[in-house]
Amino acid sequence: MNGTQAPTAGTRPDKDALRDMIARRAGPGKVPERLRIITDTSDFFRVDYGDVVILEGRPYFIRNYEREGRFGIDEEPKFWVRRALDLSDGSTKIIKMVFLERFTARVGDLTFECVRSPGKEAAILDMVRGHPNFMQGFSVKDASGNIIRIIDHIRGPTLADHVLGLGKDHEEYFHDHFPSVLDEYIGLVKAIGFLHDRGEKHGDIRRDHIIKERATGLSRWIDFDFNYLHKENVFGYDVFGLGNVLAYLAGRGDVTAHQLRGEGSPVFQRLTEEDFNIVFGNRVVNLKKVYPYIPDALNYVLMHFSTGANIFYDNTGELLADLQEARDKIHSS
Amino acid sequence: MKPESKNSPGADRHLLIAVDDSENAKRAVLYVADFVGGVPGFRATVLSVIPEPPADYFSTDEERGAWLKEHEAGAAEILERYRQVLVQSGFPEDRVDTVVDVRDCPSVADCILDVQRRLQCCTVIIGRRGISKKEEFLFGSTSSNVLHSGKNCAVWVIE
Repeated sequence: MNGTQAPTAGTRPDKDALRDMIARRAGPGKVPERLRIITDTSDFFRVDYGDVVILEGRPYFIRNYEREGRFGIDEEPKFWVRRALDLSDGSTKIIKMVFLERFTARVGDLTFECVRSPGKEAAILDMVRGHPNFMQGFSVKDASGNIIRIIDHIRGPTLADHVLGLGKDHEEYFHDHFPSVLDEYIGLVKAIGFLHDRGEKHGDIRRDHIIKERATGLSRWIDFDFNYLHKENVFGYDVFGLGNVLAYLAGRGDVTAHQLRGEGSPVFQRLTEEDFNIVFGNRVVNLKKVYPYIPDALNYVLMHFSTGANIFYDNTGELLADLQEARDKIHSS
Repeated sequence: MKPESKNSPGADRHLLIAVDDSENAKRAVLYVADFVGGVPGFRATVLSVIPEPPADYFSTDEERGAWLKEHEAGAAEILERYRQVLVQSGFPEDRVDTVVDVRDCPSVADCILDVQRRLQCCTVIIGRRGISKKEEFLFGSTSSNVLHSGKNCAVWVIE
């Protein structure tokens, strides 16, 4: 995947030509009996499995819808996001149609109003073209002027799922695998800094919004269509999200009070309110109390995201400076 | 916006009161009215900054226009109320201005300080909401940023 460019518009193929293309790209058994061609995706619920959506002259054979795979439990279907086969070159794409959703986002007990912004995501796709730590794609307009994003499909697990399979226990993971995971994470923080330097925010930084591409080993940010009316610090919510991802990676999963209590861990009795995440009050961020071999320099970074913190990172630059110090300690030990 | 204040000797001292629709903003205005009202040599500008929403935050231009109109009207109403409070406290009518500033605004504090520089105000007055630590982390604090970023001016933070 290397900096996908918008293909040039071609002449619209007829139904017989499309049938031939489907047979060639997906197999003869996949050619639908009644082929439906769609050029206006305004009503995305009408776009069905087996339809062909033609965007700027290029045909896309629609397959399943995608799901929001958050934490693997509440996998809600995203009917406006469809997997598709680009019939011109056989590549798998993710087609994101326009869903103008406005909702109240809840983070712990804080709330703020959010929208899905196709225009923001389209602008960022242009901005990050060729960047190794972002999903790649381009946007086109359908017959009604809807901004459709056409994204290269990334094959691979989320980074969060990937780390769960590393090491036989946390100590082995931390010593043998975490140094390279931390390097990857630092690259991801720099990528978010790249956006911030250009006045954009990711808007929805979560651990399941990082995919580790199987073919290249690269970790890529996905899904940056969330937008909201920021308050004083335009990037604060992104930085908070980065802290949550770091705590997850350093702990090889969330470390919660519930889990420690369930395991009968003596650490549970020693935990104080200051040791927990500033917003998600059940997640331990003072991981050194749980895993004493975690170096102070890394724990110092984590504690910026704790209830006990008195100073916060305002931007990725401040976070990166401390991460670099932690990285040096971890790689030299 | 009328950049007419000068801090030269003999000129009025120009106070910039940054407000929104919150109670803490009201306290800031009342503090100025109580502290400076009727004292000669002061003028005040009451400012409301409305950060422009992102370009496609609304699905239509009409929706965006309605949002801006509603917020501008709301701000104008508040500013007029505060203008009257200051006049009743003893500020001369021609020494109180109001400004609604709608603009692209990554940081409201920066926008307030930008107006302070343009109007050459010697003092910025702002209320403090008393937000929680987590809110300050996630969303930032305008009063803290004004306090830390203000240069060549005094900053009064009213609780």
